Amino acid sequence: MKPPPFTYHRPTTTDEALAMLADAGDSDTRILAGGQSLIPLMNFRVALPDELIDINFIDELDYIREDEGCLAVGAAVRLSTAERSADVARLAPLVSEGLRSVAHPPVRNRGTVVGSLAHADPAAELPALLLALDGEVVLRSSGGERRVAAGDFFEQPLVTSIEPGELVVEARFPVSDGHSGHALVEFTRRHADFAVAGGVVALRPENGAPRQAAIALFGIAGTALRAGAAEAMLADDEGADAREVADAAVGEIRILGDIHGGPEYRRRVARACVERALVRARGGLQ
Amino acid sequence: MNVPIEITVNGALHREEVEPRMLLVDFLRERLNLASVHIGCEHGVCGTCTVQMDGKCIRSCITFALQADGAEVTTAEALAEGAQLHPLQDAFWEKQALQCGYCTPGMLMVCEELLRDNPRPTAEEVRERISSNLCRCTGYQFIIEAVMHAAEQHGEGPAAQIAEVTR
Amino acid sequence: MSVASHPPTRELADERKWVGKSIRRLEDPKFLRGRGNYIDDLRVEGMVHAALVRSPHAHAKIVSVNVEEARRLPGVIAVITGAEALELADPLPDFGPAPDKHTWRLLAAEKVRYVGEAVAAVVATSRYVAEDATDLVEVEYEQLPAVVDPEEALKPGAPLIHEPLESNIAYERVFTFGDVDRDFAEADLVVADRLRWNRSGGQPLETVGAVASFDHGTGMMSIHTNSLSFTSYLFMLANTLKVADNRLDVVPHPAGGSFGSKLWAVKVGAIAGMLSKATGRPVKYVEDRIDNMSNCDHHGSDRIYDVELAVTKEGLMKSIRIKTIDDYGAYMQFGVGHHGNALAQVTGPYRIASVQYDLKAVVTNKCQQGAYRGFGSEVNNWMLERMVDLAARRLDMDPAEIRRKNFIAPDQFPYFIPTGNVYDSGDYEQVLDKALGLADYEHWRTEQERLRQEGRYLGIGMATCQERSVFSATEFWFWFDEPAAPVTSMPESVTVRVGPTGDITATLYSCAFWGNSPETMVAQLIGEEFDVEPHSVSVIYAGSRNGLPATGPGGSRLTVMLAGAVEGASARIKDKARLVAEHMLEASAEDLEWVDGGIQVKGSPGSRLSLAEIAIQTHLFKHQLPDEIESGLEASKVYDHPYTTMPSDDRKNLGVFYPIMGHACHIPIVEVDPETGHVQVIKYIAVHDCGTLVNPRSLSGHITGGTVQGIGTALFEQYIYDEEGNFVTQSYMDYLIPTAMEAPEFVIGHVETPSPWTVHGIKGGGEGGRMMAPAAIASAVEDALSPLGVRVSELPARPERIVALIEGRS
Repeated sequence: MKPPPFTYHRPTTTDEALAMLADAGDSDTRILAGGQSLIPLMNFRVALPDELIDINFIDELDYIREDEGCLAVGAAVRLSTAERSADVARLAPLVSEGLRSVAHPPVRNRGTVVGSLAHADPAAELPALLLALDGEVVLRSSGGERRVAAGDFFEQPLVTSIEPGELVVEARFPVSDGHSGHALVEFTRRHADFAVAGGVVALRPENGAPRQAAIALFGIAGTALRAGAAEAMLADDEGADAREVADAAVGEIRILGDIHGGPEYRRRVARACVERALVRARGGLQ
Repeated sequence: MNVPIEITVNGALHREEVEPRMLLVDFLRERLNLASVHIGCEHGVCGTCTVQMDGKCIRSCITFALQADGAEVTTAEALAEGAQLHPLQDAFWEKQALQCGYCTPGMLMVCEELLRDNPRPTAEEVRERISSNLCRCTGYQFIIEAVMHAAEQHGEGPAAQIAEVTR
Repeated sequence: MSVASHPPTRELADERKWVGKSIRRLEDPKFLRGRGNYIDDLRVEGMVHAALVRSPHAHAKIVSVNVEEARRLPGVIAVITGAEALELADPLPDFGPAPDKHTWRLLAAEKVRYVGEAVAAVVATSRYVAEDATDLVEVEYEQLPAVVDPEEALKPGAPLIHEPLESNIAYERVFTFGDVDRDFAEADLVVADRLRWNRSGGQPLETVGAVASFDHGTGMMSIHTNSLSFTSYLFMLANTLKVADNRLDVVPHPAGGSFGSKLWAVKVGAIAGMLSKATGRPVKYVEDRIDNMSNCDHHGSDRIYDVELAVTKEGLMKSIRIKTIDDYGAYMQFGVGHHGNALAQVTGPYRIASVQYDLKAVVTNKCQQGAYRGFGSEVNNWMLERMVDLAARRLDMDPAEIRRKNFIAPDQFPYFIPTGNVYDSGDYEQVLDKALGLADYEHWRTEQERLRQEGRYLGIGMATCQERSVFSATEFWFWFDEPAAPVTSMPESVTVRVGPTGDITATLYSCAFWGNSPETMVAQLIGEEFDVEPHSVSVIYAGSRNGLPATGPGGSRLTVMLAGAVEGASARIKDKARLVAEHMLEASAEDLEWVDGGIQVKGSPGSRLSLAEIAIQTHLFKHQLPDEIESGLEASKVYDHPYTTMPSDDRKNLGVFYPIMGHACHIPIVEVDPETGHVQVIKYIAVHDCGTLVNPRSLSGHITGGTVQGIGTALFEQYIYDEEGNFVTQSYMDYLIPTAMEAPEFVIGHVETPSPWTVHGIKGGGEGGRMMAPAAIASAVEDALSPLGVRVSELPARPERIVALIEGRS
């Protein structure tokens, strides 16, 4: 299970990386960040990139900062760095909590926040967190920069709306009010496995007005999803029965199955995750 | 096309040229003869290949050698000092925390990092931390006992909270 | 009957100095330092590397294999196809019912029979290049319909796996032991069920590997590998490689785990050997994980059971009818030996008087079965305990009560079970009571009730099962009325050498180190014999070439057999030492005794010689000894099975073939999440009786590890083939080995009922944990969900399956 050969590039600035991407042409060129998803695929010889652009040595992409009401995380930031960051805990406590469910610590020591988003595994936590918090990613190419909202970024399993020549340089999570209630609940076969199903609930108070509720699901469809019907239910009645909200969340989704669970089983588990996350999130508000 | 790298491994600086695709586990085993780093699954699940990079545990089977360029890598060979075993190794021996020994070097790396981060872990914390590394022989109980024992011997750790076997 | 010919040196427990002590293991320091010398650590000058081209299809004819592009890749030394291998190597050793009909070869030549079967081998300067070349080998296949369901495979018109067999039944026979019809007629109640045990496997973290060197000059084939057993059968491997038996040397390396999967794992070494001969270079072939999962030849049992248990209304078990179909996959390397293991303890610890065993061994398009801890007896344990629980439920009896009622009593040993095998000794109630005590059983029943009020489902499981140890050769052939080779040897050898300074070296043969503790066992046994510190003993693992007959680990036999061999060799050493002492002390044999590691004149402790003093005399001072005493102080013992008897001609009595019988009681505490079907094992109580223990902590380690494997079998692990025969679980992302978070906290207890037939009364115990846990976990899950009336009749009890049971579907 040795990886196939590839041509290696090591830019030290973002512009250099973008120039390399622009030059890629027809070759299968991928970004090497943590490699925790890419390298296993290469060892299986399922991924056969011709070229890898290693962004681990671009210091200017290694930052965590607050910027325009968002927690901004650069593409080189490791999952474990974000997990331990006091800034992340303060600005986006849901992200802090969710990071602890991402794989095992040794994987978090190499994997990156942005890398997990760009990889877009439907069972991953970070896309669901970005979605629940109405976050966005920043895509840059040698031609310029654009921001894409989470809802527009994840298209299919392992496919995002990134265009050739673009690099995801930053993830942006709107800052959470310290009074928000939130929870991520997932069900895995074993501790730290890929989620069979998962739910993220973020309840954000809006001074005096009914709370905004965000519910995101992962592990059950081609991408992470927002549960609009369930959110509407909570917007109408913030004290709605958690089980009914969860039912609404999973009710109409077309769910995929695999050997770890068929569609109806996953629906049941997803419902349990949403219900439990909602109960925990409400508990956090008190 | 080979790429030059500089890696400090167990305190010694190495300048080597590597094929970009060479995995760190193979670099350490083949180029530097560090046989403690074992190959288990080659897809980053079992943790048998665990080494430390800049003091943090990583899976060397899903890391390219050139990603460790400029880094300090530590393997289990660095634990003992000549004839003197590291307290963790001694604890593993005392508690029979190994049977076939294959997961042991990687497990020692994880446990060493754990005790550095948290000199007084609870048994539950140890159990969760070692869950990144599979062991097929021990069922984990004696590994947890060994870590608690090492913590107790060399810090002010709580007495082993896990039920000891009757003999 | 042949009993151990030398009684143990010491009979009483409180006189043992080293046997019974949980000393630190001799094996550990090298592994702790990362200097284990595993097979992949071996570097040989000029060594090159192999990789295999594996079939992506479950069943297909091989139309053509084009290796031109692969051969041209820089760094490639050779590419050998299955057709070329037909000339280079003969079929692999095959202990199955009809080796000429289910012929097993190193590489497939005419057709492939499972996903992962190898069709070509590449040799290159590195494993990386070898794999690049495997991608360039073009194989044209003509796909054939595949069959992966054993009942489908039985149907007329099913695709044939091996055309010469003319069906997919490799073996079928009904055995009747005792008067089954009468016992059923006299019973008040018959409980029946269909049970399904799906295949899983050892999956040690280290795969099988070999470095083979064929020397064209000397004709020597040397194979370094992490598998060595059954040295007396290695002539068959030599045959495969077309070398003379006395030109083959198999050299063992420590294995990173086996759990049976490295037992007689000769294919990897044979492939490396064939490639070495073909290329004239030393060749390393180490399986990668995909090779090991799909092509290892060591998948576990894969059985469908239809069982009927006949009981009285008081709960006494009278008789059992077992019908089983076992899906063996594409080949039959060990025949149906797995069912011998089942028949050794088919009635469990209970006084069941008669048994019918209707067995069909079926071939399908899957990797073949091999050995996995329990070797088929753990499946029987699970099946039997499921039936006992069902009977208990029907009769509204407490699970402990029904077991107690049926236990064989301590005064009934040695106890012959209906198949003819014998149980040497036991005290099953003592084990059960100890387990219940350690489990704090009443506390957990109270907890269960309390949690039920909260809508939570806690369960307490129970399994009381046998753990046989030390198999006889007869279980390989009593399946046939006219066996081709009714072999009877089952040896184990040890050579003990006392050097001039009195230091002791023990040589082990056919001895694989798998994570068991042969060095520590032998050192403690020798320590006991000679009053030396076990860590002072040095242990060597001999290769096959200079090997005495030996078998190696398997069937939990090794410690018992090594104990016999050590005792025998030690007795010979002591006999010679006594002759020397007679001469040096000018005393006669009757006046001498062994005390504290030396020989002295009885009643005269001043007249004494230490072992070292005797040793140096024998090594260096020949002329001062009587002529007939040869120099040196070394002896070997080839010990054989302590108690084997032949099967009757009509096979209504299979004889004694697995007499050293341990027993255990497992009580797991689990919680089941009814929404997700997840089972968390919270705590696990295990009490084992493995006779006299040599190193109690070492056994506790095996119990713990084996139990976690059993938890894996019960809840997480399965090799899954889809309907087309695609092998779905080809990685550790899908084949789920328990991590520390799935493993419970353990409380381990030991009971020691010595065997009357082994040295020190030792019984085997390496497999026991896994032999109990699937039954115990199934029982716990059922107990947890009993308010919902759930019956666990299939393993693994995956969360989705549990939810389906809760929802009332099948």
